[in-house]
Amino acid sequence: MNARRWFRQFAVRGVFWRRYLDFGVTNVPIYLRTVMIVLWTCFFFFFAAPARRAILSNLAVILPGSSRLANYARAWLTLFHFAWTISDAADHKLARTEFAYEVEGEEFLDQLAAARGAILLTAHMGNYDLGAALFAQRYQRELHVVRAPEEDPATARHLDESLERASGGGVKVAYNTSATALPLELLNALRSGEIVSVQGDRAMPAVSQRKAWLFGEVVRLPDGPFILALVAGTPIYPLFIWRTGFHHYKILTLPPFHCHRAGDSREAAVEAALATWCRTLESVVRRNWSQWFSLVPIFPSR
Amino acid sequence: MKSRGYLFALPRLLARLAGYEVCRAELSAWEVYGFGVFVFTMACVVAGWAIWPFVRPGFVILLPIAVWVAFLLLYYVNFLLAQLLRRLGFYTAVTNNPLQHFVIMALMTLLAAWLIVAGNPWLRSLGVFWCALVALNLLALALLKILHAP
Repeated sequence: MNARRWFRQFAVRGVFWRRYLDFGVTNVPIYLRTVMIVLWTCFFFFFAAPARRAILSNLAVILPGSSRLANYARAWLTLFHFAWTISDAADHKLARTEFAYEVEGEEFLDQLAAARGAILLTAHMGNYDLGAALFAQRYQRELHVVRAPEEDPATARHLDESLERASGGGVKVAYNTSATALPLELLNALRSGEIVSVQGDRAMPAVSQRKAWLFGEVVRLPDGPFILALVAGTPIYPLFIWRTGFHHYKILTLPPFHCHRAGDSREAAVEAALATWCRTLESVVRRNWSQWFSLVPIFPSR
Repeated sequence: MKSRGYLFALPRLLARLAGYEVCRAELSAWEVYGFGVFVFTMACVVAGWAIWPFVRPGFVILLPIAVWVAFLLLYYVNFLLAQLLRRLGFYTAVTNNPLQHFVIMALMTLLAAWLIVAGNPWLRSLGVFWCALVALNLLALALLKILHAP
């Protein structure tokens, strides 16, 4: 291993911290975790400057008129929640810790679980990894999770293994890259009645995306989920999971919407579905800004 | 009847005496938030008192960071100890948390005993408070065993 690669593992998104998290979950008594998480949050608040700046710029849009100082405190709180959620996900994977959760929109969750092909549209919010594992376990259904690729391949491998282990093999991870094979693979999965989970709040470069309005600002969001829904004729279920307390989560499932052509052009259908998703995302993020873990800038004008 | 879950035996016994149905759990928020802060604060107080004659007063600001680093080292040493005990077949728990808990509690009790012996009246009362908590918790544990409670 050359020196550059060796040092890369200690970068903020490097695999070292993921492995250290596993170490912490299996070695730090539960009552000391809060203190440790507070201290590690302070550490990353200072050293993960790009993530901190991204949260600050997103908060300035979500909460217009808020003071910069208050937003620093909010950014710290967001990182604190992020630390708890990844710690809980590791806890579930390694120690099989049970989590309490309440479901809002249970009828839609049951519909989703029974659906023959559906898109689960979510955001980088709360504990989406834990949510996917819980869903796969609760309904004994396989879930295809599309993720943004990790910068560090070792981190990506670690995350894949973690998710598959936590869900007992019920979650299959696919990476959202420019590869043309992935949309076809997902379309086949949908047509054969499976569920595909996509995070629709951040567009990666070189991935199909289009202009949308979020919190009154122009953003680029992925349009892949809507094109897939249009082609496969499957419903889109917005689903979010966020932390409400120590080992407690809330799952919110909203009524499904469709991406129908209905006489309009394909473009108009996709844009209408994207607009519906943006309004949904706005209402959920506005209520849970401290658990929107969009650690990259979303709003280009900021 | 409403069921309550606690990690430590003392609140389990107190809740039982208050008429609640109790279980052993890791879901009590006040233990997670409150007790952890108490343990860490006590470690900071002991460390501050021990190093006070040797450092400039400004160092006190860095004390939580120094104690944090000390805790990280302690976790690692305990991890190595757990590895050794696992190899020898003396330790079989899924995680190292029980061993870490035992070592941390034993160390904190030793520090509390040191405060009782050598500290000023305020620190002595802190040491007495800790030792009383540990003794009451052990007593509660024994009582719950006798009562065949969870």
